[in-house]
Amino acid sequence: MAAEAILLRRSHGATALQAPVPLEAYRGDGGYEGLEKALSMEPGDVIEEVKASGLRGRGGAGFPAGVKWGFIPKETDQPKYLVCNADESEPGTFKDRLLMETDPHQLIEGCAICCYAVGAHICYIYIRGEYVRQAEILETAIREAYDAGVLGDNVLKSGFKLDMRVHRGAGAYICGEETGMLESLEGKRGQPRVKPPFPAIIGAFGAPTVINNVETLCNVPHVMTRGAQWFSDVGTDERNTGPKLYCISGHVERPGVYEFPIGVTLDELLEAAGGVLGGKALKAFIPGGASAALLGAEHSHLPMDFDSLAKVGSMLGSAAVVVMDETTCLVRAVQRLAKFFAHESCGQCTPCREGTNWSQLVLGRIERGEGRPEDPDLLLRMTANMSGTALCALADACVGPVRSLVQNFRPEIEEHLAAGRCPHPYRPVFEETA
Amino acid sequence: MPETEVAAAELPEEVAGAIDELRRHYPTAEALLLPALHFAQKHWGGWLPEEAILAVAAELDLAPAKVLGVVTFYDLFHQSPIGRHRVRVCTNLSCALRGGQEILESVKRHLGVGENEVSADGRCSVAEFECLGACEQAPMMMVDDEYHPRLTPQSAAEILEGLD
Amino acid sequence: MSKNMVSVTIDGRTVEVEAGSNLVDASLKAGVQIPHYCYHPKLSVVGQCRMCLVKIEGMPNLQTGCTTQIMKDGMEVRIDDDEVRAAQEGMMEFLLINHPLDCPICDQAGECGLQDYSFKHGQAFSRFSYEDKRTYPGKERIPLGPNVVLNMNRCIQCTRCVRFTEEISGTGELGFFQRGSRAEIGVFPGNELDNPLSTCVVDICPVGALTSTQFRFAERVWYLDKKPSLCTGCDAGCNITLEHRRGKIQRYKPRANDEVNDHWMCDFGRTTFQAYDEPRLSTPKRRNGRGEIRTITWDEALTSIHHSLAHGAAMGTVGILARGAATTEEAYLLKLLADSLETPHRGGLREPGPERLIPTSNGGLVGSEITPNRRGAELAGLEAPSSAERTAKMLAGAVNGAHSALLLFDGGRAGLDNALRSPAALEGLRKAETIVVVGWATTELTEIADIVLPIATHAETEGTLVNSQNRIQKFERAFPPPAGVRTGVEALVDLLRKFRPDFAPKTVADVFGLMATELSALEDVSLTELPASGIQLPVRPQ
Repeated sequence: MAAEAILLRRSHGATALQAPVPLEAYRGDGGYEGLEKALSMEPGDVIEEVKASGLRGRGGAGFPAGVKWGFIPKETDQPKYLVCNADESEPGTFKDRLLMETDPHQLIEGCAICCYAVGAHICYIYIRGEYVRQAEILETAIREAYDAGVLGDNVLKSGFKLDMRVHRGAGAYICGEETGMLESLEGKRGQPRVKPPFPAIIGAFGAPTVINNVETLCNVPHVMTRGAQWFSDVGTDERNTGPKLYCISGHVERPGVYEFPIGVTLDELLEAAGGVLGGKALKAFIPGGASAALLGAEHSHLPMDFDSLAKVGSMLGSAAVVVMDETTCLVRAVQRLAKFFAHESCGQCTPCREGTNWSQLVLGRIERGEGRPEDPDLLLRMTANMSGTALCALADACVGPVRSLVQNFRPEIEEHLAAGRCPHPYRPVFEETA
Repeated sequence: MPETEVAAAELPEEVAGAIDELRRHYPTAEALLLPALHFAQKHWGGWLPEEAILAVAAELDLAPAKVLGVVTFYDLFHQSPIGRHRVRVCTNLSCALRGGQEILESVKRHLGVGENEVSADGRCSVAEFECLGACEQAPMMMVDDEYHPRLTPQSAAEILEGLD
Repeated sequence: MSKNMVSVTIDGRTVEVEAGSNLVDASLKAGVQIPHYCYHPKLSVVGQCRMCLVKIEGMPNLQTGCTTQIMKDGMEVRIDDDEVRAAQEGMMEFLLINHPLDCPICDQAGECGLQDYSFKHGQAFSRFSYEDKRTYPGKERIPLGPNVVLNMNRCIQCTRCVRFTEEISGTGELGFFQRGSRAEIGVFPGNELDNPLSTCVVDICPVGALTSTQFRFAERVWYLDKKPSLCTGCDAGCNITLEHRRGKIQRYKPRANDEVNDHWMCDFGRTTFQAYDEPRLSTPKRRNGRGEIRTITWDEALTSIHHSLAHGAAMGTVGILARGAATTEEAYLLKLLADSLETPHRGGLREPGPERLIPTSNGGLVGSEITPNRRGAELAGLEAPSSAERTAKMLAGAVNGAHSALLLFDGGRAGLDNALRSPAALEGLRKAETIVVVGWATTELTEIADIVLPIATHAETEGTLVNSQNRIQKFERAFPPPAGVRTGVEALVDLLRKFRPDFAPKTVADVFGLMATELSALEDVSLTELPASGIQLPVRPQ
C-alpha cells in the first residue's frame, strides 16, 4: 500500500537525521497557504471545516479536534489560549519529535490556524524537558516566523495578533495529560485537575484553553489547503479519517515513523518496516503505546484505527506500535510498563499511587519465579479496582497492558508459576557496530 | 512566608535577568517557575542546591515548600551534585527489547558507579530513565542533551571515553 | 436572601439542599455518610483519595461525591450499591497495603478514618502478603514544628494539611513532595510548621500521620468524655469540644461552627485549659484581725460578704467589678447585686490582648481581648470602661474611704487583667476596707483579699458568652466542680438572696430566662433553645 506522504512530505524518514526545513523552503512548498486561507475565512467557518474533516486527536484520546475548538466560548472577556501538547512521553511514541525536528513550521502553521479559529492570541508549545534540541529547533523556527510577519502583531498582514512561546517541561509523563500539563504550565506539580470544568471553559490561568497534540495540529494546514472532503476520504471510514503517523519499534528490522492512511494493519506496517527482526515469528504487539492492551499475532490483520482496536479491547492511542517476537517474556515486558506507570504516577490519588506500584511488584515476583497461583486473579481484581476509579487516565493506562497480559496471555503467566522461574531468559543480540 | 532558618540566597544576575525577560509572556509569576528552575539548575552546575531553590522561591514570591514540591516532582530537576556529564539510559520497553537494561549495566560497570553516583574522575553520573522518545534508535542513551542511537556495550563505552 | 433549594435523592431518601451544595455535605442531610478522606468543607476540592465514589443516575462511571455539586432538581445518587461497595473496598485495600497498621500505639486509634472505614467498608483480610510495605525510613517521628509531629509511614497523601497551610493559615510551610508511591508531605529543610493555627492540621489529618505534641501518648481517646464548650482564651469565642477524663482536661479541639470559627482554633487557645492546673481555691476563706487567712463555711462567708457590702453601701462606697471571664449569667447576677446595693460603681473590665485571627469563610474572626466575655458583661448591664485610665478612675471611685467595700468577680491566672494587677492598682485596691474575691485560683488578688469564695472553672459550669462578633453562645458543663466549690451562679444567687430573700431563680437556665425578659434580642429564647451556633445580637457601636 503505497501512501502519499502528507505530514512527512518534507521529512525524509524517521531515522534520517536532517536539518529542519527552513521557513523559505517551507513556503516554497506551499507552506503557510493554509493559514492564508484560514485568515480569509470567518473563524467559525474554520472550525466547521475542521469538524467536517473528522480529524480526531492524535495524542491518544481521539477526541474530534473541531468539536473541541467549538467548545471555546465565543464571547468572553478572558484571554483564550492554545496549549500545544508536545510532551510526547508515552513509551513507544516518537512521531511528534520527528515532526518538530524536521518540519517545525508545519506545527507553527497548525497552531496559528487553531488560534485564529478560536480567537486565541497566545500559544504555548509545552514540550517535554528532554527534547532540548527540538525545543531549540522550534524556537529558531518561531523566530523566523516572527521576522517574516507570520507571527506577531499582524499575522500575514491580516491584523490578527499571535504570540507563540515554547515552554519546556521537566520530566513527567503525567504532564501529557491535558490538565496535568496546564498545572505544570502554571508552575505547579503536574497533578491532573478534577474535570469538569473542562479546559475549554477553565483552562490555563483560569481561561478558556484548547489543548491539542503536535500531530493533530500538523494535520490542520492540510485540512485547510486540501479541504475537509479530501481529508475525510483518507482512512477507514468517516469516524477514522486522515493520514496517520505510526511509530514502530521493538523487534522490527527498520524501526521508525511510517505514514499511512489511518487504519493500516500491522502486517502492512511490518512489511514497510522490513518485518520482524531477524525473521523471527511475531508473538505479541502493542498497537497504541504503553497504555494499550497487548494483542496476539492473530490480530495482525486488523485495521489499526480508533474503532477497530477498541472493538478488541485495545486502542489506537498514540499509534505507537511495539513489536515483540517469539523469544519475548511478556511478563517482563508488561512488568516494565507497569514500573513505568508506577514511576510516573503523580501520587495524588489512591488507586493509581498504590495500584500501579503494587501491580509492578506482583509482576516482578511472577517474573522472578516467585509467583503464587492466586496472582493472576489478584491482578485482575487489582486492575478492576483501578479502572475508572482514579481522577485521570493514568491508572487506566496501567490497567491496559496488565489486564491484557492476564486475559490474553494467561498461559505465559502459568508457565512462570509452574516453572518457578522465567522460561524466556533474555539474551540481547546487539547489532555489530558499523 | 514563614520564617526560614536557611540563609536566603540571591539569584545571580544572569538568572534573574533571564527570568525577567519572560515575565511579560506569562500572566502569573508562578508560571515562570519551571523556566526559572531550568535557568537556576544550569547556573548551579546541573543541580539545585537548597540555596538555589530558596532564591528562586524568593524571586517569584512563592513558599519554599511549594517550590520544593515542584522540584521533587520532575525527573529533570536534581538535588544532588552530578558529574560533568549526565548520562540517561532508557530502559523502557522498546529499548529493553533490544538490550537497554544491558546497556545500563555495562555503562555503570564501565564507569564503576551506581544509580545517580558520580564517577571517581568526576566525569559522569548515570541514571536509568524512562522512554526518551527515540524508540527507533533503541537501545539508546542521552549524554547531556544529545541522543546516542543503536548502542552496543562497546559503542556506549567509546562514547563515554570520548567525553572530556 | 432567598436560597435556591433543589432536591436530591440519596439511596431513595429525597432531601432539599441549597443549589450548589456539595454531594458529600448533602448526603448527611439524608442521613447517609459518604466516606471521604481528602474532602474537607473548608478546603479546596481535589478529589484525590477516591473514597467517596458514588453512583449517579445517568453517569457512565462512578463519580466522586466531593467533586459533585448539586445544581438542579432530581439528581439520584446510590451509595448502597454493589459497585460502590466494591470501589470502597478496593480503595480501602489500596490505602492499607502500605499502612503500618500500628493502631495499638497510634494516637489516632479510636478516631481514625482508616479504622472506621475498614470496619464499615473494608475487608477482613489482606491480599498484600508477599511484598514489602513502602516505608519512609527515618520519618517515623519528625517534629514539623513546636506543636506537630509527623509519622510519614501512616500518611495517606490526602494533602489536607498542605492545603490548610496554603489556603487557611496562608503560611505555606507544608509541601507535597516527590511523586507516585514515594509522594510525601513535609516542610522545606530548616523551616518549621509554626503558625498560630498549626495544630489544626492535626485535627484535619484523617489518620495518625500528624499528631499533637501536647496530646501525644497522653490518653487513649476512648477514655475521653467530650462536651461542647467554648474557648476562653480570648473573645473570639471559638467553639470547642472539651475532652477530659474524670475531670482532667486532656485537650481542646475545635468544634465546627460556620458562623464563628469554621473548623479552626488557634494553638494558644488549645493551651488555656492548663491554667486549671493552677493551685485551686477549695474553701471559702476570711482574713482574721491578725491578718491570717482562715477557712470558713459557705454560710459564714456569704453572711460576712453581705455584711461588708451592705455596710459599704450604707456608710461609704461599694464597688462590683466583673472580669470579662464571668459568664453572662454571672455578670447579670452581679448587676442585680449592684442594683440592690444601689451603687453606681459597677462595671466589667476590658483588657486588650494580642490579636488572634481565625481565617474563616465569613471573612475572618478576630479576638483582641484577653477575657472572653466583656461584651456579655455589658449585655448584662456591667459596662466596661474603655481604657485603663477609666478603669482606674472607676476603681478609685469605688475604693473611697474607710468604709469602702469591693467585690471582685475574678477568674484564674489565665489572661490576667493587667489593669488590676499592676503594683499601682493593687496598692489602690488595698485602700478598700474589705476586698471580696470570687474566683477559682490563687492569684495576687486572693493574696490581698479579706474574703475569698471558691467557684467553678468554666469547665465545671455552664452558661453563655458573647464573643467579638456580638454573638451569644452557650457552653455545657463538662464535669462537676470539686467538693466544697460552687458555681459562680450558685454562689451569687445565694448572696443575692441575702439582699432579696424573694429572689426565685436558682439555676443558670433560670437566670438566663430572667435576663431574656429584659433583653429584646433574646426575647422568647431559653437557654435550652439557644441554637448550638449561637444567636447574633445587634452589634453595638464601640
